[in-house]
Amino acid sequence: MALSCDAYRELAAIVGERYISSKQHILAGNRVKTPEIPFEYHSPDAILLPGSTEEVAAIVKVCNKYGISFIPFVSGVLPDAYANREGTVLIHLKRMNRILEINEEDRYAVIEPGVRHVQLYPEVRKRGLSYTAASVGPGGSVLANFTSTSGDHHTQYGTSRANRYLLSVEMVTPEGEILRTGSLPSGCGWFCPDGPGPGLRSIVRGYFGSHGQLGIITKAAIGLEACKGPAEYRTEGISPHHRVIFDSDLSRVYVFNYDNIQKVCDAMLALGEAEVCSTVQKYFYLPLTLLMTDSANDFWKKWTGGYKEAMSMPLVVHIAAQSLREREYEEKILFDVVRETGGVRLPEELENWWSEHMDFFMVVSRLQSVLRLGGGWMPLKLGADSVQHVCDVGQSIGEYIYEFTETGKIFDAPENYQIIPMEYGHFAHIELLFMWDRTNPAAMKGVGEFRARSRQEDLRRHFHAEDLGCLNPTMEELGPLYSNCHIWMRKIKESFDPNDVANPML
Amino acid sequence: MANLADFRYTMESCNHCGQCKWILPAKMKGWDFASICPLHEYHGFDAYSGQGLVQIAKERLDGKLDYGDGLETLLHTCTACGACDINCKSVRDMEVLDTIYALREDCAKAGYLPEPLRRTAENVEETHNIYGEPHAERFSWLPPDFKNDTEADTALFVGCSAYRHPEIPLAAIRILRAGGVKFKLLYEDEWCCGASLWRSGQREAAEKLISRNVDTFHRHGIKTLITACAECFGAFCGGYPRFSDTGGLEFRHISQVAAKLIAKGSLPLKKGENPLRVAYHDPCMLGRLSEKYVPWNGKIRPFGLHVPEKQWRRGEHGVYEEPRAVLRALEGVTLCEMTRNFEQALCCGANARDVDAEFAAWTAAERRREAKASGAEAVVSCCPFCQDALGGEGENPLPYLDLAVLLADRLREEA
Ligand SMILES: Cc1cc2nc3c(=O)[nH]c(=O)nc-3n(C[C@H](O)[C@H](O)[C@H](O)COP(=O)(O)OP(=O)(O)OC[C@H]3O[C@@H](n4cnc5c(N)ncnc54)[C@H](O)[C@@H]3O)c2cc1C
Ligand code: SF4
Ligand code: SF4
Repeated sequence: MALSCDAYRELAAIVGERYISSKQHILAGNRVKTPEIPFEYHSPDAILLPGSTEEVAAIVKVCNKYGISFIPFVSGVLPDAYANREGTVLIHLKRMNRILEINEEDRYAVIEPGVRHVQLYPEVRKRGLSYTAASVGPGGSVLANFTSTSGDHHTQYGTSRANRYLLSVEMVTPEGEILRTGSLPSGCGWFCPDGPGPGLRSIVRGYFGSHGQLGIITKAAIGLEACKGPAEYRTEGISPHHRVIFDSDLSRVYVFNYDNIQKVCDAMLALGEAEVCSTVQKYFYLPLTLLMTDSANDFWKKWTGGYKEAMSMPLVVHIAAQSLREREYEEKILFDVVRETGGVRLPEELENWWSEHMDFFMVVSRLQSVLRLGGGWMPLKLGADSVQHVCDVGQSIGEYIYEFTETGKIFDAPENYQIIPMEYGHFAHIELLFMWDRTNPAAMKGVGEFRARSRQEDLRRHFHAEDLGCLNPTMEELGPLYSNCHIWMRKIKESFDPNDVANPML
Repeated sequence: MANLADFRYTMESCNHCGQCKWILPAKMKGWDFASICPLHEYHGFDAYSGQGLVQIAKERLDGKLDYGDGLETLLHTCTACGACDINCKSVRDMEVLDTIYALREDCAKAGYLPEPLRRTAENVEETHNIYGEPHAERFSWLPPDFKNDTEADTALFVGCSAYRHPEIPLAAIRILRAGGVKFKLLYEDEWCCGASLWRSGQREAAEKLISRNVDTFHRHGIKTLITACAECFGAFCGGYPRFSDTGGLEFRHISQVAAKLIAKGSLPLKKGENPLRVAYHDPCMLGRLSEKYVPWNGKIRPFGLHVPEKQWRRGEHGVYEEPRAVLRALEGVTLCEMTRNFEQALCCGANARDVDAEFAAWTAAERRREAKASGAEAVVSCCPFCQDALGGEGENPLPYLDLAVLLADRLREEA
């Protein structure tokens, strides 16, 4: 369905001819995410590049008037940023890219959606501050991550997940009204998520974010942390062999391998109880090997040449201290815990990789190398609960994944899940990353089968393991396990978006 | 050259991660100067980027997209600077720039080559230079008393831009002479290097010219070819092996030769010069795109295994250090680094000039803004095309200096 001439004219009048297009080759740039993953896309009818909140609100009103669906997006790295039905326009928020404030005293930043991690992170770090940046890479939108797509982050163990730092927001509702939440509407500023104005924080962001289903966030304030360890870092070399180094005694990375997940769980809990270390995570071994390789061929050599075994269940620990004494204290506890839980330190040549790639603990882009194996990959689960609970989830994967790995439907890496505790182990996130050969039709079919199986197994065991991000089929299926949240989520959506035009994913 | 179908793997591997649009996180400095694709930064839509062009190529390959509605202009507005390619390759095994080249070839075959590029090709065919100047005047800038060392197995390839910037080959000659390098000029046997034909997708014309040039080099007994033009240098290293066997030929940029001469103490340099703060601009074809192209005709097996193993061009071994070494050797000169430098350098925009002059001017002005922000009083580079762009008129004016010219000026009189 193409836009009617009237609708196009009204939209063009808002943004100007330069910032709207319905030309086929322009739409082609945002028609699909990854061509070969099994999602269905429609072509958008137009793409718009608004320059202000007022323009966004005016666009949304025109969409309501003509019954056009709209999807806001920034980098477009997630499949939810693509047209999922006919009669959709994409609203690219790239031009709204100002950092409006970095408040060093009260530790918050006010940003527009188009500000990317690669832009905000160095600005706050210069000021001795930091935040947990998604490993999506340089171009991911900070605002989208904190408000709309919140996942989990390598560095959240000593802090928390991004959306726990969301303060006030300015948003355009699905009907085009401009709404400000938290301390903002009362004129007190951006610093507080709840009151004295309307406290919509939980509705707006949910646990994983509403992916544009409840409107478009046009400005947000996010809380910042004091940067632990050194604020300065050194970069040397030319890509892809560039290095990022902390020249400081206040920073150390240690990596240990374990032979079973319960021991990892015990170590995480013990470290959390002692409130030591800055980053603690059980990382996935497949991406880890990929991070350390130069090409798919190099990966195969390393994977089959010992990396798989040497790093089968790696616990990555970063100590970032404020003083030498603090570092030594944390190291002492760490080594005690590792000894008691049976961890084995990685060989030096493998462990040293980390201290030369400290960007892993800031803004990671190397994780995109998970696609180095050709593109068939998908994260699963993505939920959170207690450390013990998600470790049990991890343990259970081994009981059914073999049916898929042994038939060659998915890549043979059964332990390829990560667990990242947050808030010193008060709860933790789990993500299972699986890959398949996208050139093999049987493997393509296996993707759906494996996703369904993983969900059934979690349901059967009453595991809180899935990402209940927004209203989509997964939410409908798993809602009963979470106090029927799908029912009240639907009600919220209906009252916010009576015309069902804001990223109507279902 | 290659066909669109050869890059299906690349097209199907792109996940819209956007690494092709942004500086690598390891090299991030702040909000400003974070974007590395001038095309995307200026035009805004994702179609105007490496990622967008890869997806356009896929639709074109699948017969879902046609030229004629502006696609051909978009495609040639891209400066083919390769920043997208190198950043994508920092984590992937994909060929973004080669896909863009293949799309250009497809565009030319479909008969949609933009008019200015078609005219350039006609010029090269008729006058052997991109400007349509008389071939007989290619060396008219040469002093009448110049003595050609016809016995030398090294040649200085001056390139078409000698018509516009004769001071550059004159400086190169002075440096080579001062350093005692034996070399010759090819006079009427020197024709355009063919970069503009190759890079605009005109396969047959490029193939014909490049084969002819390689034959000529061999006929003259040349073993080493030196050039002061980054575009020619990048074409020799990254383009020629696509069309012809360049075995037995070595290519050198004047900055490499000069750096070596300086390191050996073979160039007598003046002392006591006035202080000057300069920013060095890495030309795309001298930096990230100058690695040797090694043809690969293998198969890609499941999970990305390339059989036989492929030699990737990831931009790591470009010429970055030598021009800086030359600058560091000049007394009074202080080198200021821009945020986007080495393999992350922002293009000067020159290549888009014929198709979208406004965009090209914006790109050059953006680069000058960055040079100024580094604290530099002048921008130095070593490519006549960069000189046209950065030294031209427009916003954020800043003096431009060619590296060879600057170095030649700093040679002591007796040299
Ligand atoms: C390899 C890889 C690694 C990743 N790692 C992480 C990680 O470690 N942690 C993590 O949290 N996430 C991660 N992600 C997921 C995701 O990319 C990020 O959460 C990211 O911040 C999304 O921002 P974006 O600019 O990419 O949004 P887009 O992809 O452009 O949009 C994503 C969704 O958000 C909606 N949206 C965007 N902007 C707005 C807005 N202003 N208002 C309302 N809705 C909006 C869109 O409609 C869409 O539904 C990863 C993704 C990839 C591909
Ligand atoms: S071309 Fe490469 S860097 Fe760009 S979006 Fe695609 S995969 Fe990412
Ligand atoms: S070659 Fe340069 S201008 Fe063209 S898409 Fe890539 S980065 Fe952008």
